[in-house]
Amino acid sequence: MKTAQAGTLESMDCIVTVTETEKGRGISIVMEGASVVRFGEAMLKATKDTLKGLGVRDMAVSIQDNGAGDLVLKARVEAAVRRFTGVRTP
Amino acid sequence: MRLRRTKLYLPGNNPNMLLRGHLFNPDGVILDLEDAVAMSEKDAARILVRDVLKRGDFGDCEVTVRINGMDTEYWKADIETVVPCGIDGIRIPKVEDPKDIALMDEALSHIESNARIPVGRTLIFCLLETALGVWRAFDIARASKRVAAICPGGEDLRADLKTTRSENSEELIGPRRMIALAAHAAGVDALDTVYADITDDAGLRRETEWVKQLGFQGKSVIHPNQIPVVHEVFTPTAKEIEQAKKIVEAAAEAAARGLGAVQVDGRMVDKPVVKRAEYTLQRAGLKAGGEKA
Amino acid sequence: MTINAAGRNVPDTIPGYGEVRHFKGHDRRPPEGCRFGKKNRAAFNTRRDKTLPDLKAAISASGLKSGMTVSFHHHLRDGDYVVNAVIDACAEMGIRDLVIFPTALFKVHKHLTKHIQNGVIRQIMGSVNGPIGQLASEGGFSVPVVLRSHGGRPRAVTSGDVVIDVAFIAAPTADNYGNLTGAVGRSACGSLGYAHSDAHYAQCVVAVTDNLVNYPAPCIQIPQFFVDFVVPVDKIGDPAGIVSGTTRVTRDPMRLLIARNAAKLIEATPYFKDGISFQTGAGGISLAVAAYVREAMRERGIKGSFGLGGITEFFVDMMKEGLFERLLDVQSFDLAAVKSIAENTNHVEISADWYANPWNAGCAVNMLDTVVLGATEVDRDFNVNVNTEADGAMLHGIGGHQDTAAGAQLTIITTPLLRGRIPCAVDSVYTVSTPGEVVDAVVTEFGVALNPRRQDLIDAAREAGDVPLVTMDELVEKAQELTGPMTPVETEDRIIGVVEYRDGTVIDVVKQLKKK
Repeated sequence: MKTAQAGTLESMDCIVTVTETEKGRGISIVMEGASVVRFGEAMLKATKDTLKGLGVRDMAVSIQDNGAGDLVLKARVEAAVRRFTGVRTP
Repeated sequence: MRLRRTKLYLPGNNPNMLLRGHLFNPDGVILDLEDAVAMSEKDAARILVRDVLKRGDFGDCEVTVRINGMDTEYWKADIETVVPCGIDGIRIPKVEDPKDIALMDEALSHIESNARIPVGRTLIFCLLETALGVWRAFDIARASKRVAAICPGGEDLRADLKTTRSENSEELIGPRRMIALAAHAAGVDALDTVYADITDDAGLRRETEWVKQLGFQGKSVIHPNQIPVVHEVFTPTAKEIEQAKKIVEAAAEAAARGLGAVQVDGRMVDKPVVKRAEYTLQRAGLKAGGEKA
Repeated sequence: MTINAAGRNVPDTIPGYGEVRHFKGHDRRPPEGCRFGKKNRAAFNTRRDKTLPDLKAAISASGLKSGMTVSFHHHLRDGDYVVNAVIDACAEMGIRDLVIFPTALFKVHKHLTKHIQNGVIRQIMGSVNGPIGQLASEGGFSVPVVLRSHGGRPRAVTSGDVVIDVAFIAAPTADNYGNLTGAVGRSACGSLGYAHSDAHYAQCVVAVTDNLVNYPAPCIQIPQFFVDFVVPVDKIGDPAGIVSGTTRVTRDPMRLLIARNAAKLIEATPYFKDGISFQTGAGGISLAVAAYVREAMRERGIKGSFGLGGITEFFVDMMKEGLFERLLDVQSFDLAAVKSIAENTNHVEISADWYANPWNAGCAVNMLDTVVLGATEVDRDFNVNVNTEADGAMLHGIGGHQDTAAGAQLTIITTPLLRGRIPCAVDSVYTVSTPGEVVDAVVTEFGVALNPRRQDLIDAAREAGDVPLVTMDELVEKAQELTGPMTPVETEDRIIGVVEYRDGTVIDVVKQLKKK
């Protein structure tokens, strides 16, 4: 199954893994990490917004968080998606 | 006049340092897309650096990006991504040919005008990391109005000289002297390379004092703990400040009175001396005139 | 329901706790009553040996029954064996529903979880961390945990609010007639400061030692006439967990940045002169502040009067160097401190009562010039939370926070603005541990916020010119800008934690977390 990953588990970073999913399945997001309890909603929104902006409609996303803010999360989602589609330079 | 006593390297794939490095109050930050980032991570780092630059929160630091060398496949995407964010400058590794600087100047102008940024705003800092680069330092420094500083390499230069690191970096004495000379002949800053041993403050201080004496304006650092040491070396002593204050005040008085000549302690003091005194006060963190900045 | 002086909504009675005395201000509750009495006992020369063969014999002899209150000190820290051993023995003897009253618990005590689940332990009054804290937060106890500070606990004991039926005192060295010390022995821990009130006021005192010596013991800290029984055991603890080797000053640049800001503040105030006294924590940012202040003291030729609180090698060296005259030690953290307390008469053991009890003729914190403390959260009113984490779990005790903050002339909280994505500066803290009225400064990597109540400090900092001043509102807003909006913690109505202030009033409560 096609999959790609970006980011690290260093402080204020996260690892975003995107995996191919059936067309029409939509976006599914699974998250873990200390921030999820208080920032889960914000993380979901940031991820969904970034995917939308990149034109991604169907994807399984998993996020392992170590304190990443929205800026870092979005950058890692974008990097993972670009790796996934093989288009490397933005 | 920009103080460039310290420039802190921020690894381009490290969110923590990218977002908080400026809090340590270096004079400048270098967001590093080159040596700090593994090949496999160049793409992800570029995106991260772009977004941190867009956010634009670096305090009062001069913001530069060390792009990948012009001999790689990455540099074009690097400048196309970061320059539109409105940075103060780029740092180019392994510069050897003045023609490359001219080429870069054009490329930057192109990007700037497309991004509605004042053409010429993005400065160029040249890393001279080979014998050839050091030899052509003056021409490289003059190759574009954008060139703000030239900087010697460390390990790369040693490798190119086919020598090893000695205790007091004997092998880099010559190159540093040449760069200091070339920089001032060309009217740009001379900024020294990093001191790798982050636990050796005494060694850092010694090296910094020595390059300051040679005529360097500052030094790159790789760890925030190195900043206070380097700043202290480049900060004038109380005596130097007193003297500088006298000179600057005398010059201001003379100007107010419409007098051409400036006198301090019964001696004539000419323009370069006044300028140097102003520079001293700026390095001390005091504006010219003696008030705190 | 009443909104108390810290702005918190606290009910007038709490199930499992009782009538609430509401917090009215840090110095507003007038003292009541007299020091509580311990039943008299008589001892004659017909019995010249208080030793008993094992813990079970001592438990029997003490008259401990189900439902009673037992106490422990935490000087053996994460190397302690005694608490677990005593509760294990009680369980085997069929004793249940105990109220445990430790001065603090550590990771090693997660062993008690099964006793909690089996009903051997009914309640804990004292800090709960790790798995026990999580269990408490999720409603695992039938009655609330009661948290008290290092000064509030002896106040509760000496005033009779808490009656200790049996105090178990781990003693690194004891003689057979009950003289105890922590200064020597294989499990030496230095000061036994937290054990004194227990020894003086508990109905029965059982010493547990792994170093029984000839009478009379050396360096006596707790004298024989308080101690009823002595139980020699193989090991009271693991020395590696009891004391650390050397505590090095951190080299982490962010911590050093914050520490430097705090030191600059201290140096800017009128307290930075000959005779200065201060207290810092054992590591991290706090110790780094001490390092910078020491540098400044050396440069300016300033000699301090005393160092207070948890004592480390760092403070011992400062005293040897002549930067302190004396050390007042309620807890010794490392080998150097243990050695020093045994050898140097200027290194003085003090009890928790002496250290921090607000209901006596004057405790040590009242003479403190400056203290550097941590926090999990601070808010716009300078209230401090040290008890609960961002997810609402109650995972830390109060320690000496309330006491030193109230006593010191200059109370400084050092904290990074964010821990990961979790903000430390918030609109309103989740739990108030220490009220803002006694907090003077919050120091972060983004700057130093001074309490508007302290115009004198604001003026001094401005005058010095090198303290990066910001307002508390700016810090809170910066944090919000960096983290984005937080969803609130979801709780049940049930109260599972009562945070007492050092005067015995209730300053805040902790609610049970909603199951995920």
